[in-house]
Amino acid sequence: MNKLIITVLAKDRPGIIAKVTTDLFELGCNLENVNQMILQGQFAGFFIVEAPADQTPEAVEAVLKEKTNGNGLTIHVHQLDTPEAGSGDDAGDPGEIFLITTIGPDQKGLVARFSSIIAAHNGNIVNLKAVFKGGVDPNDNVMSYQVAVTKDMDAPAMFEALREKAKELNLDIRIQHKNIFDAINKI
Amino acid sequence: MFEDHEIISTIEMVKNENLDVRAVTLGVNLFDCISHDLSVFKKNIRKKILGHASELVETCDAVGEKYGIQVVNKRISISPIALVGACFSADQMVEIAHELNDIAKTVNIDFIGGFSALVEKGMAKGDIALIEALPRALAETQRVCASVNVATTKAGINMDAVYEMSKAIKKAAEMTKDDDGLACAKLCVFSNIPQDMPFMAGAYLGVGVADAVINVGVSGPGVVKRAIERNLSEQRLTLGKVAEIIKRTACKVTRVGELIGREVADNLGIKFGIVDLSLAPTPTVGDSIGEIFQALGLSHIGVPGSTAALAMLNDAVKKGGAFASSHVGGMSGAFIPVSEDLNIANAAHKGYLTVEKLEAMTCVCSVGLDMVPVPGDITVETLAGMMADEMAIGMINAKTTATRIIPVPGKKAGDKVHFGGLLGEAMIMDVPHHDLTDQFVTFGGRIPAPIHSLKN
Repeated sequence: MNKLIITVLAKDRPGIIAKVTTDLFELGCNLENVNQMILQGQFAGFFIVEAPADQTPEAVEAVLKEKTNGNGLTIHVHQLDTPEAGSGDDAGDPGEIFLITTIGPDQKGLVARFSSIIAAHNGNIVNLKAVFKGGVDPNDNVMSYQVAVTKDMDAPAMFEALREKAKELNLDIRIQHKNIFDAINKI
Repeated sequence: MFEDHEIISTIEMVKNENLDVRAVTLGVNLFDCISHDLSVFKKNIRKKILGHASELVETCDAVGEKYGIQVVNKRISISPIALVGACFSADQMVEIAHELNDIAKTVNIDFIGGFSALVEKGMAKGDIALIEALPRALAETQRVCASVNVATTKAGINMDAVYEMSKAIKKAAEMTKDDDGLACAKLCVFSNIPQDMPFMAGAYLGVGVADAVINVGVSGPGVVKRAIERNLSEQRLTLGKVAEIIKRTACKVTRVGELIGREVADNLGIKFGIVDLSLAPTPTVGDSIGEIFQALGLSHIGVPGSTAALAMLNDAVKKGGAFASSHVGGMSGAFIPVSEDLNIANAAHKGYLTVEKLEAMTCVCSVGLDMVPVPGDITVETLAGMMADEMAIGMINAKTTATRIIPVPGKKAGDKVHFGGLLGEAMIMDVPHHDLTDQFVTFGGRIPAPIHSLKN
């Protein structure tokens, strides 16, 4: 097993994924997972590959940088740690996912303040979306955290702390189990 | 992963469109509590109900909190008392009502339904005692709800029972005259009563249902209204498209109800029964059936076009519910209760909605003449006639219909009545010729069941 994770950052334009995956293919890498997003015109991509046994992360990074030289891509390659038995993502209580959504005016440090409360209670943020467009429509300023809540956490205390913080910052906060969003939207 | 609009629209449904779970109703079978000894019977029903319901309110609150959707009312429905208490006298039936009222207070629920009788084809000893006990039972308790099924499509209409119920309603109103006849707001007279309905005042646990069961009533007229308004503001729609929007919205709301109902049932270790998606309004602005009619371009509920609009609404709600869940039951349609819906009450007050038009609309709604305050001096015969008419609509059309008519003692058409809370307030509706004493209903007997062929 020689799994590598490759991150690619660039100004978004057509052909980035085609270029990177072609280069990886030519290096003999087998693509296992890809995820990408675009934030304000900036492309961010994550590629997990099974690389040939003799390929080191440094070697793959060097080849990719050489092949994409001049294309404005920022590339990093790291060895992907294999989770040990009984630990990591594949073990223990995966928790139940709650969506914590705040709606209200943009202020500096919002994400930092809320994520700190979640971290202080051992909550793991599995997904975060934050959109701050400003303006008068409250729905244009929304943060939505998907947080895994495990049985060993004091979830009521975390929810209470988040509600307190939202009240202090004049934000409307909703804390709801993920299944309600599935029930309404995933038909 | 959810899209922004999915998150926002879900939150909007709860926050601004009054989506809630209107009622989680625990059904409890009482047949194994039967005894000829009243004190033993009361002890048995207390033990049985508390055994299932002691955690009901806390569980509903916890599940509601988890999903961010309030379970507004927690209720209990029981086997018909006229059956399980068939050996008791009317006075003893009143004692049972007091016991039920006390049990409801103990478990902190607002209503317990099932002080009921099924008499569509005739009245047995227990039925007669229960109907005789009704005025006192409802006047002396706060949380007991009663229902009497006097007609079915297969049996016809028991006109003796209709007449007796008219007398009972008048008497119950008189006994609570200081509260505008409030006892009658807890009493429904039915044709084709569903045995799994979670909504009060008609909820009871049918004889063909499990020992204990969780039935859920979801509402959401505000959600439907906003969905219509949102789409109409974006494009010009045909009514076929509007019906599709209502259907899709009803589907989403039903799924919410089933999700919460199943989790409550699992947590209590009780079987899940059905989800009843009924557009049940409250006196809150934005939580109104009447406002849906206005969103559909009618100036008020009750004007010409209203019956057609209601037919489309009721059918689309049923279709959406049926698509969302294989366990849909109860009423599942649109309610048009006059005093419980501020907008409907206003339409009645301004003369757009008359009693006659309301009756016509009940041909296509899911209930009937619901929460209709009428002059206190309406005669027993006229009241019975109104009830018989409504029962006939249900019987012939093979659908549920009901009446919850409140003759308000000492008040006349146009006077204001206030029942409080979800029961709301309204002006008393004019009932033309309400002082007639026509003989028709006094003949008694049974109007035979209708023919099931030659449908025209």
